[in-house]
Amino acid sequence: MRWHPTRRARILLGFVLAAGVAYWGLGLNLSGLLPKTGGLHLAGDFFSAAWHPAFGYESTGFVPAEAPSFLLKVLHGLWQTLEFAIAAISLAFAFGLVLGILAADCFWAERGSGWQVFRWLLRIVLAAMRSVHELLWALILLAAMGVNPATAVLAILIPYTGTLAKVFSEMLDEGDTRPADALKYLGATPLRVFLFARLPRSFPDITAYAFYRFECAVRSSAVLGFFGFPTVGLYLKQSFENLHYREVWSYLYGLILVVILLEFWSSLIRRRFVA
Amino acid sequence: MKGGNPQIDALWKSRPRSRALRFSAWFALALVGCVWMFSNIQVAELWNAHRLENLHRFLSTRALPEPLRSHSGESLWLWCNQQMQAYGWRGLEATLEISVFAIVLAGFFGSLLGSFGARNLMSAHPFVPHATAGHGDCSHALDRVAQAMRILCILLRAIPEYIWAYLLLAMLGPNAWPAVLALAIHNSGILGRLAGETIENLPAEPLRAMTMAGATRKEVAVAGIFPMALGRYLLYFFYRFETCVREATVLGMLGIVSLGYFIFEARAHDQYDVLLFLVLLGGLLVMLADLVSDLARRWLRRGV
Amino acid sequence: MEQPPSAFRLSRVEVQLGGNSVLRDIDLSIAAGERIALVGPSGAGKTTLLRVFTGVIGPRQGTVEVQGIPIHQLKPKALRKLRSRIGFVHQDHSLIPNLRVAQNVVAGRLGQRSLVPALRSMLWPNREELEEAHRLLERVGIADKLFQRTDSLSGGQQQRVALARALFQRPQSLLADEPVASVDPARSRSLIQLMVALAEEENWTLVVSLHDMELARDFFPRVIGLRKAHVFYDGSPQELDSTHIKELYQLEEEPHASST
Repeated sequence: MRWHPTRRARILLGFVLAAGVAYWGLGLNLSGLLPKTGGLHLAGDFFSAAWHPAFGYESTGFVPAEAPSFLLKVLHGLWQTLEFAIAAISLAFAFGLVLGILAADCFWAERGSGWQVFRWLLRIVLAAMRSVHELLWALILLAAMGVNPATAVLAILIPYTGTLAKVFSEMLDEGDTRPADALKYLGATPLRVFLFARLPRSFPDITAYAFYRFECAVRSSAVLGFFGFPTVGLYLKQSFENLHYREVWSYLYGLILVVILLEFWSSLIRRRFVA
Repeated sequence: MKGGNPQIDALWKSRPRSRALRFSAWFALALVGCVWMFSNIQVAELWNAHRLENLHRFLSTRALPEPLRSHSGESLWLWCNQQMQAYGWRGLEATLEISVFAIVLAGFFGSLLGSFGARNLMSAHPFVPHATAGHGDCSHALDRVAQAMRILCILLRAIPEYIWAYLLLAMLGPNAWPAVLALAIHNSGILGRLAGETIENLPAEPLRAMTMAGATRKEVAVAGIFPMALGRYLLYFFYRFETCVREATVLGMLGIVSLGYFIFEARAHDQYDVLLFLVLLGGLLVMLADLVSDLARRWLRRGV
Repeated sequence: MEQPPSAFRLSRVEVQLGGNSVLRDIDLSIAAGERIALVGPSGAGKTTLLRVFTGVIGPRQGTVEVQGIPIHQLKPKALRKLRSRIGFVHQDHSLIPNLRVAQNVVAGRLGQRSLVPALRSMLWPNREELEEAHRLLERVGIADKLFQRTDSLSGGQQQRVALARALFQRPQSLLADEPVASVDPARSRSLIQLMVALAEEENWTLVVSLHDMELARDFFPRVIGLRKAHVFYDGSPQELDSTHIKELYQLEEEPHASST
């Protein structure tokens, strides 16, 4: 037992060293933390705007007369953000569930090794899907298929399917095996044991995790706005470039509110469902 | 559900059900239905002839590496080597360094946020529930600190890294700090919440015993919570490390020299072969990080 | 006239798990309709013996016959069919916790039906199935729990659900592996009583492994004592006196390989 503290200390020391190497490798210095010339002024303006976010357009000069009111625009941006996220996560859930089942060890229990090869290939494909960031998928898909709302959905869908499938398969494999064993004892085939014990047993965890990923999908969808998709990110970027910081904060607060509401909803579900 | 034993119908009617869950299920279904029916998102659009033709053209010309496209006889291996020399190695190094530095910062601040946000630690008598002796005001102040920390965590993590980086870039100018800070800020929020949950879920008995034996809050935190919570916290730490690498790749698109910077450059110069090469490279790096964090977590599960 | 085959017959059975002999040289014959308590210290091989009866664990040596059929010759499908005729009540956590009681009961016939009807009856049990599940739950004394979530029930109630599931299976024999290990003493007595009563009504062969000698003595005409992988005692509980019991539960002097 005496070497435990030193092991813990060694782990922490390793992190500090790694950070030091990275710091040195990146050529960072602390003066880089000071805002650049003019940056200080900008930072001051930006953060003081946090206390009074805009409720109307900051300057009416560039706004066409028939444009909707600013608050409507915020709401619209948020709803569009949600739309992309909902479309993507609903498909990702369906695909992720099917692929997750196929990637789970327990689904192939008592099957030949050929299926194990298939399972490993599938796991590699899933890893590849999720190892490319949704923004990079968006870049490639934009070039390959052109601008379309569905492109954004697909860009979120691909990596999210990979992540959901991986996590679902782990949940199916790692749950309590005793209910499944009991069904084996009363003569059920492996497939039935899977369908009647493993799957229902993991379903609450699966749903709760999908909800958490939905929250992430909303953030991803917001960021896709920076690539020209009409989500809140697009409007935020435009306002920032026009130096309308109070508008920026309105969008930020809107996004934060949506994320908090979703978090509240998903914690409600987790409490009722999982515990 | 009709006929037969009326008792069954009565039991069915009085079966326990959660209104919150039913409401959630219907609401979620309604949202999904609404989006697919009324929004302008039509996935089928992607498969129309025009777009498939685009896709085919992209894959057969622009996405093909230069030597394969021009049949210049130049070897593919040489071309890959050139890309690695020009962008690959620099990009990989910077991406890795940004993510490592950021996750260590996030781990540090996250543990602070989590400790000060844990309700059971931030009470007048840590881990002794319902202790009322004295300290009334002190307890209130601690409560408020804990609450503030949790709200701070929410604010930090609600805003995506990419937006943080975009805002910071305008203030700090083009160096690696905006990327590092953006990742560190967002992940501090996430790790802060996870650390708080970890501390709140610790078995209370040994910690309560420490308090009863007269240990101060600081002593409980250092001698009790740190060794007990470290393993679980590191699990989350490595899980976030993997996401950090993913994000660090992309943050380069804002002009910070990570892989994403070169990816964006390639796009600006319409060199989609280079772009795909670098995306694949980034993907490999993430898979590697995935593997490392998986191994680290497996090692940690056996106990720290 | 030929004698009816034994419900279970083991001859010279040896079982190894992870390199250790868990059962050695077991000769047993259990007639149809017999009620047997299996006693012995933890690690003596009670659970393994019950598993050998169902063919989940195969012997390294010797033969296992169930209803006169040597089960090591059976193909997986035939083995599953055989299992579907044997009810099994586990120590605990054998039910799917987040389903309703009715669904868990209906799962009893999973080994006997084709996939689609089985799926249908699990998701939407029809009226007859519900009536039957309700009747069975009435017999085990918890009819009012029909539509409760299974994990909201107490340990003893869950074991009653497991019994109802076994009843729904319409088995020829019931095996129970320490069914009362996580049930409080008063309730465990009534649970064993219920099991024995049901076995008499249904003419089951009943084998229950128990820790509590008193329960074994009060409810079972035949007791099998296992110790260190061997059958140590086989006979009526009346002849099992206190010296036997002391010897049965005597702590082993030499450290046993599998004891942890």
